[in-house]
Amino acid sequence: MKSAPYCSWALMAVFAVTALAQAELDPALLGKPPVDAWPTYHGDYSGRHYSTLNQINQSNVKNLGLAWVYRANRSQQGAQTGGSVPEAVEVHLGPGALAGGFLKSTPLMVNGVLYFSAPDYAWAVDARTGKEIWHFFWKTSGGDHIGNRGLAMYGHWLYLETPDGFIVSLDAATGKERWHKQIADVKAEYFATTSPTVIGNHVIVGLSGDALDVPAWLESRDPETGDIQWKWYTTPRAGEPGIETWPDAFTAEHGGGMPWQPVTYDPQLNLIYVTTGNPNPVYRGDLRKGSNLYTASIVALNADTGKMVWYFQSSPHDTHDWDAAQVPVLFDMNIDGQPRKLVAQASRNGFFFLLDRTNGKNLVTTRFVESPNWFKGVNQRGEPIPDPDKDSQLGGSLISPNNGGAANWTPPTYDPETELFYLNTAQGYEIHYQYPIDGPVFGSSGHTSQAVGGIENSLRAIDPRTGKLRWVHKYAGSEWNPTRPEHLGGLLSTAGKLLFAGAPGGFWVAYNPENGRQLWHITFDYDVSNTPITYLLDGVQYMVLAAGDAMYAFRVHN
Amino acid sequence: MFRASTIFLPAFFLTVGTAQQPSVSERPDAQKAKVESGAIERGNQIYRPNCGFCHGIDARGAAGPDLARSLVVLNDIGGKDLGTFLRSGRPDAGMPAFAMLTAEQASDISAFLHARFEESRARRPMDVNAIVVGNAAEGAAFFKGEGKCSSCHNPNTDFKGIGAKYDPYVLQGRILNPRGGRGGPPIKPSTVKVTLPSGQTVNGQLVSVNDFSVTLMDAAGNRRTFARDNEQPRVEITDPYQAHLDNFLKMTDKHMHDLTAYLTSLK
Repeated sequence: MKSAPYCSWALMAVFAVTALAQAELDPALLGKPPVDAWPTYHGDYSGRHYSTLNQINQSNVKNLGLAWVYRANRSQQGAQTGGSVPEAVEVHLGPGALAGGFLKSTPLMVNGVLYFSAPDYAWAVDARTGKEIWHFFWKTSGGDHIGNRGLAMYGHWLYLETPDGFIVSLDAATGKERWHKQIADVKAEYFATTSPTVIGNHVIVGLSGDALDVPAWLESRDPETGDIQWKWYTTPRAGEPGIETWPDAFTAEHGGGMPWQPVTYDPQLNLIYVTTGNPNPVYRGDLRKGSNLYTASIVALNADTGKMVWYFQSSPHDTHDWDAAQVPVLFDMNIDGQPRKLVAQASRNGFFFLLDRTNGKNLVTTRFVESPNWFKGVNQRGEPIPDPDKDSQLGGSLISPNNGGAANWTPPTYDPETELFYLNTAQGYEIHYQYPIDGPVFGSSGHTSQAVGGIENSLRAIDPRTGKLRWVHKYAGSEWNPTRPEHLGGLLSTAGKLLFAGAPGGFWVAYNPENGRQLWHITFDYDVSNTPITYLLDGVQYMVLAAGDAMYAFRVHN
Repeated sequence: MFRASTIFLPAFFLTVGTAQQPSVSERPDAQKAKVESGAIERGNQIYRPNCGFCHGIDARGAAGPDLARSLVVLNDIGGKDLGTFLRSGRPDAGMPAFAMLTAEQASDISAFLHARFEESRARRPMDVNAIVVGNAAEGAAFFKGEGKCSSCHNPNTDFKGIGAKYDPYVLQGRILNPRGGRGGPPIKPSTVKVTLPSGQTVNGQLVSVNDFSVTLMDAAGNRRTFARDNEQPRVEITDPYQAHLDNFLKMTDKHMHDLTAYLTSLK
C-alpha cells in the first residue's frame, strides 16, 4: 500500500525522462549517414538517399513484408491546433485535391518516433507499432494546398511550413505549438510546401508561389526564437551582379525563382546548395529578356551569412516552367584519378549536370531522356541554350518534357558502391499556347496548354562521370500516358545492394542496382507518394514509405 | 512551378473544357466585398486621370510602382484600407495625398483594381479558332506525303467532315494523340501475343499490361491474366496507333500547324 504511490511516482519520473529523451534530437546525428535515425528530409545532408544498412539485402529481400500501416488521421478532434486565423477557411482544392490529401512528406525518425506532415497537418507516430502519438492541425487562412514535403527537427522542436505562408514550431513530445512566424503574405499568392532544413543554429526556410510575379528568397531563422538571421533574394537588385540579365531592376525584383525544394549542405565547405524555381511571368520570356539570374539555378550559399559563393543556371531564360528545383545531390568521386567534390542534378528540363561543388564549374552536361526539344545547344558554361522558336505561341508549340518534367522534385539516389545516379523519368508532350489578353500580364496570363500524352516512363541509371546511361528500365504499359515523375515518389539505395523505386500502377520495387533486374515488389492502391526511408530499431531494419494517405512499414520476416 | 495534374486523359478533357467555357476560379482566401456592376467602370474613370499617369493605364507600373503586386491593394476589402492610404499618400516616396477622396470613390477604385487582377488571374479562355495559323495546302501535301497520314486516313472516308466535327484545338491534340480528347470514336484496342515458357503462345486483345502482369481477352471472350517476372513471359504488343506514338519524336511545329489547318478545312 505504502510503496505503491512511491513506485508509480518513480515510474512516472522514469517515463518523464524517457519521454524527454525520446523527443530530443542529438545534434551530433545531423549530417551523419542515417543508421538508427533519419533526422533530416534527406536523411543526411548529401541528398544521396543512400543507407549504409544491409540487414535487408539481395538474399532476403524476397521475404520483405508489412510491419504496420498508419492511415493519416485528419480529424480535428483530439488534434493539437494552431492557426493564423480563429477558424480555418474552407479550402477549395482543384485538380490537385488528391495531391493535397496525399502524404508526400519524407518522415523523420528520431528515438523511435516518426514525424511527418501534409498541408495543415503534422503527425508523430510510434516507429515500432505505427500507432499515433499526436497529430497537429493548422487553421489555415488559405494558400495552395498542393503538398508538404516534411518537417525539420532541432532539439525538442519541430518546424512545419504551411500553405498560408507560416513556419510553425511544435513541441516534438506533445505536438503543441510553440510559436509561429509569417514567412510571406498569402494575399500575394505566396505559399509554402517545402521541408525546412536545420543546419547548426539555422533553420533554412524556402517558399513557393508563381501566380503573381512576386520577389523570392531563401531565409535562415533562429531555431529558438524564429527570428530571421539572413535572407538571400534569388534575383539581383539594382547595382548587384547579375542585374544585367534582366531588362530592369523592377522586373528582376518581381522575377520569381522560388526555392521550393529542401537544400543540401556540405559541412566541410559550409556551403548550402539551393535550387531555384522558374522566373516570372512564367511563359512570357519577351517581358524579361536575358538569362534571368538566379532563377532555375543551382546556387551555393555560405550557411552562416547567406552570401552567394557560386551559381550554375540549369535553365537560362526558362520559358517552360522548368524550374531547377530538383535535388542537388552531393558525392565525392575520383575523376581522371583525382578525388573531386561533386554536385549532380537531373533537372526537370531533361538535362543531367555534374559540377565541382567547390566552385560550380561544369564537368558534364547530357540529356538523360531522348525527347527534350526546347533547346538548340549547350553553351560554354555547360548550360542549355533555349530555342526561342519553341516559346509558347498562338498556333501551339509542341514541347517535351510536359509540365511534369523529365524529372521533378522527388529525390533521385546516388549509390557509392555502383557509383551510379538513379531516377524515375518521363517523356511526355504538351502543346503550349500564348494568346493576346486584355488586362495586366502576370503569372501565367494568356497561356494555356494541352497535355497530349507521351512516349514512356522509365527508371534510368546514369554514370555521372560521362552522363551516359548505364541501363534503362522502361515501365511496361507506360506509353501514351506517362505519369509525372514526382507521382512515382523518391528513390532509395542501400548497402544491401538494393535500389528501391516506385513504378506506375502502385508498385514499389526492389532492383539489383548493377543491372536493373527486379528482385521484389508490392502493390498499393496508390502510387508511392513520398520518398522511402530506412532505419535500424531494436536491431531490426525497417523501411517506411507513403502511398496515398497511408504510411507503410516493412521488415524482413524470417 | 507546380501545376495541377497532367495525367493525360482527365487533364485533356479538363483543359479542353477550360478553353471552351470561361471559368473564373476563386482563390480560397478571397474575401471579397460585393461589387455592384457600375463600380468597376466608375473606378476606371477615377483611376485613369488620377493614378494612371504614375502607375500605368494597366496598373502594372510606370514611374510609380506596379499595383498588381501592391499588398495595400491586395489586402484591401471594399476600399476601406485603400481609402485611408490614398487620403494620406506617401509624400516621402513621391505619392501625393488624395485628401478629398470619398469612401465611395475609394471603393470604386478598389473594385476596378481587383477586377483587373481577377481578370488576368482567371486565365481567360483562348479563342480556339485563332490557333489555326498553318498553311492548309502544305498540310495536305504533308498528309499525303512525308507524314504518311494517308496510309491510314482518307479525307473522303474516315476524315470526311472532320473539320466540322472537332474544333481546331481538339483536332490539334488528336493529331498527336488520337486516344484522348472529347467526342472521339471508341479507342481501337491493341492486340497482344504472350509467349509462355513452354513456347505456347496466347493471343488476344490487350486489356492492361504492366511490369508484373498482362491481361488480355482471347478470341473466345475469356479474360486471361498472366503474372510477369523480369519480362517473362514475353509480351509483344501491336498498337493500331503506333505511327502516332512514333511521331512524337519527329513532329515539328510547322507540320503540326499545317496539319491542323488542313484538317480544319475538311468541313
